[in-house]
Amino acid sequence: MAKQVLEGVKILDFSWALVGSITAKQLGDHGAQIVKIETSKRVDLARTDRQVSISKPNSFDDKPWFTHLNTSKYSMALNLKHPRSREVVDKLIQWADVVLENFTPGTMTKLGLDYESIKKQRPDIIMASGSVYGQTGPMAQEWGVDGTGNALSSRLYLTGWPDRGPVVPTSVPYGDVVLPTFIASAIIAALDYRRRTGKGQHIDAGMFEAIVHQTSPAIMDWVANRNLQGRTGNRSLYASPHGIFPCAGEDRWVAITVFTEDEWRALCRVMGNPAWSQEDRFSTLSARKENEDDLEAYISKWTRQSTPHEIMEECQAAGVPAGAVQNAEDLIEHDPQLKEREFLTPIEHPVLGTFGHPTPPYKLLRNKAGVRTSPCLGEHTFMVCTEFLNMPVEDFLELENEGVFV
Amino acid sequence: MTNRLLQGFRALDMTDEKGFVCGKVLAAMGVDVIKVERPGGDSSRNIPPFVDNDPDPEKCLLWLIYNTDKRGITLNLETAKGQDLFKELVKVSDFIIESFTPGYLESIGLDYDALSRLNRRIIMTSLTPFGQKGPYSRFKGGELIASAMSGVLLSNGYADRAPVKEALDANYFHANGAAVLGSVMAHYHREATGEGQQVDVSAQEVSASRNTNNILPYLFDKRMLKRSGDCQWLGLNPARWIWECKDGYVWHNLMGGKVGAPANRALSQWMDEDGIENPLREIKDWNTFDRSTVTMEEKTVREKAIAEFFLRHTKKELDTEGRRRGINAAVANTPDEVVEHPQLKARNYWVELEHAELGRSMQYPGHFFLSTETTTKIQRRAPLVGEHNKAVYQELLGLSDSEVEELKDNGVI
Repeated sequence: MAKQVLEGVKILDFSWALVGSITAKQLGDHGAQIVKIETSKRVDLARTDRQVSISKPNSFDDKPWFTHLNTSKYSMALNLKHPRSREVVDKLIQWADVVLENFTPGTMTKLGLDYESIKKQRPDIIMASGSVYGQTGPMAQEWGVDGTGNALSSRLYLTGWPDRGPVVPTSVPYGDVVLPTFIASAIIAALDYRRRTGKGQHIDAGMFEAIVHQTSPAIMDWVANRNLQGRTGNRSLYASPHGIFPCAGEDRWVAITVFTEDEWRALCRVMGNPAWSQEDRFSTLSARKENEDDLEAYISKWTRQSTPHEIMEECQAAGVPAGAVQNAEDLIEHDPQLKEREFLTPIEHPVLGTFGHPTPPYKLLRNKAGVRTSPCLGEHTFMVCTEFLNMPVEDFLELENEGVFV
Repeated sequence: MTNRLLQGFRALDMTDEKGFVCGKVLAAMGVDVIKVERPGGDSSRNIPPFVDNDPDPEKCLLWLIYNTDKRGITLNLETAKGQDLFKELVKVSDFIIESFTPGYLESIGLDYDALSRLNRRIIMTSLTPFGQKGPYSRFKGGELIASAMSGVLLSNGYADRAPVKEALDANYFHANGAAVLGSVMAHYHREATGEGQQVDVSAQEVSASRNTNNILPYLFDKRMLKRSGDCQWLGLNPARWIWECKDGYVWHNLMGGKVGAPANRALSQWMDEDGIENPLREIKDWNTFDRSTVTMEEKTVREKAIAEFFLRHTKKELDTEGRRRGINAAVANTPDEVVEHPQLKARNYWVELEHAELGRSMQYPGHFFLSTETTTKIQRRAPLVGEHNKAVYQELLGLSDSEVEELKDNGVI
């Protein structure tokens, strides 16, 4: 296997919530050495929430959720509130290329670990801070999580049916996963910049600001036209049909989206050119938009007779964009495309056994990612101290006896 | 401060509307991104809405928003001369970003293998619905289909209706973020080794990669979560996340353990002060509150009371007084409220860009992140059709005025 892209890059990672964890994972999966600083006094959020029956309330090491977000890292237990922890942190700062954190802004300053302080010890350090509101401004220190970012950016308001209130914009995180793509990119670009200029920098990334770029088509419609967009269900301004249609089976659906007249004629052919499809009221995009309720009802009658995957295959063969609304079973057991891409790769975890770990969804065709399972809390404390920091064993034992590594 | 993170590098951006954002971010980091359009302009310029609701290809909002900081040229890639010119540009570029159906570039001799022979440093980032290889690789896709095929869509919406999509092009926005990351990762490798490569991004897989909440219950318990509208599945039960207030909606949930305790106490106290029914009062120790063990009965009683509380208050109260008390609720801002938001204003988030040809200026979201050392703010409006033809073809390829004119006359540019 070719060398990993980020081999030799050292990341001191104070993350304890999703934004930081996922950022570090992106870097670790491509070979960076991540030392994740943790403490049992205040554990990473994902070490506590239980989503599956194997996870017990009294363990920090049996949450597959944590594993999915924290692959390819070393875990070091270190109680930052212990006065002597700073001796270890100072060594880690000398060791690291990058310091990553996602505390509420202000916390690193209280710990004496803000950029200005760290920079005094290491002038070329790269530091990246992820938060909801950003590091400055009147609300910088407000509490926030993924849901906050959704709400602030208008993403929440814009998701759902026009005749009902907003729905949770997916049952899965969004800002928590999207923001890390920008932070990780910024970190790598900063490493490249440092290689060219010798200079470090502090990256300040806020979820609110990053996600407003996603909702900016609606925001700019307000800015440019004073047009206030609302919830539109599954419909599109410039495509019809554009929706989710019921299929045979319980809670089975298919997505069909028609952007051109060619695609519309192809869909009609796939449906067997029923008489209704030849009516004038469906013959152009604007006509279909006007009669969209009827259009969707007719298409639903056709889709109901088949499975989502059958409709997808028939439509795609004819050049109509369509996709099954897949459930977790489809993804994990059947999807041949995700298998081709090794979406979930089986890796053994010391507590949870062997199960699928996601690989980075952007494939570098020359440098395959090397995903390792997530660490148990404090699993690598001794190794980090003695091997990465070259700490004499007796010094380690002394600090351990004082309760620094908990 | 005029330093940019990736100053001195150049990208050729051949994407349609599904891949604009990747180049936008690279351009904000200082890459000289050249948008390559077909002569006359890309069809994506016809996507509504438009500035002043005027359906003019130079007024397409999506184009304007997501192509900032790029230069723009036209080039007919289906002519031999156009292909030659493109190859010359590849020799002086560092990145190519493209979103064609896999196989198309090969059919016109411009696939990665062919181009890497001209410039072994070139990085080609390919952002497609399903990726470069595999049984679905030539399927058509888009926002709704990426969401459907990734499994993200099914759990979004109400049980009594079809699943409902996320706002706008959320999944493709994420896929673009992943494409930026893949591009920069490959760049870092290239700068160390001199070796470029292709980066293969699948929109389906990018979305599936955030579908942990659905994947894990199936992997471990063969359990599939149900759509539950304004509720979120966390642990074994759905918890309500969205609440109607007097004049809109707010996001709020009871977080567990020490992390959630102060906010939960603050909410309970505010409910008491309001003098309404408050079953939260019965929870004595919020530090040990575990949201994965809440029973359906407890949930129903508590959520009824919390719903009544939020209905008594306005967005403004919940924002100002709510933040003062620290109840951890967030107002579901409308797009106009985002524009007026004091935090974004305080951080100089908005950038006013001049549109002389439209006789106006417009305010744009200004940065994806900030840096103490480099400028990351957008600086230039999106290009007009063929706006930089002369500059690019003359400056980069050394063509003369008459050669550029000839290309124009022959329909190459």
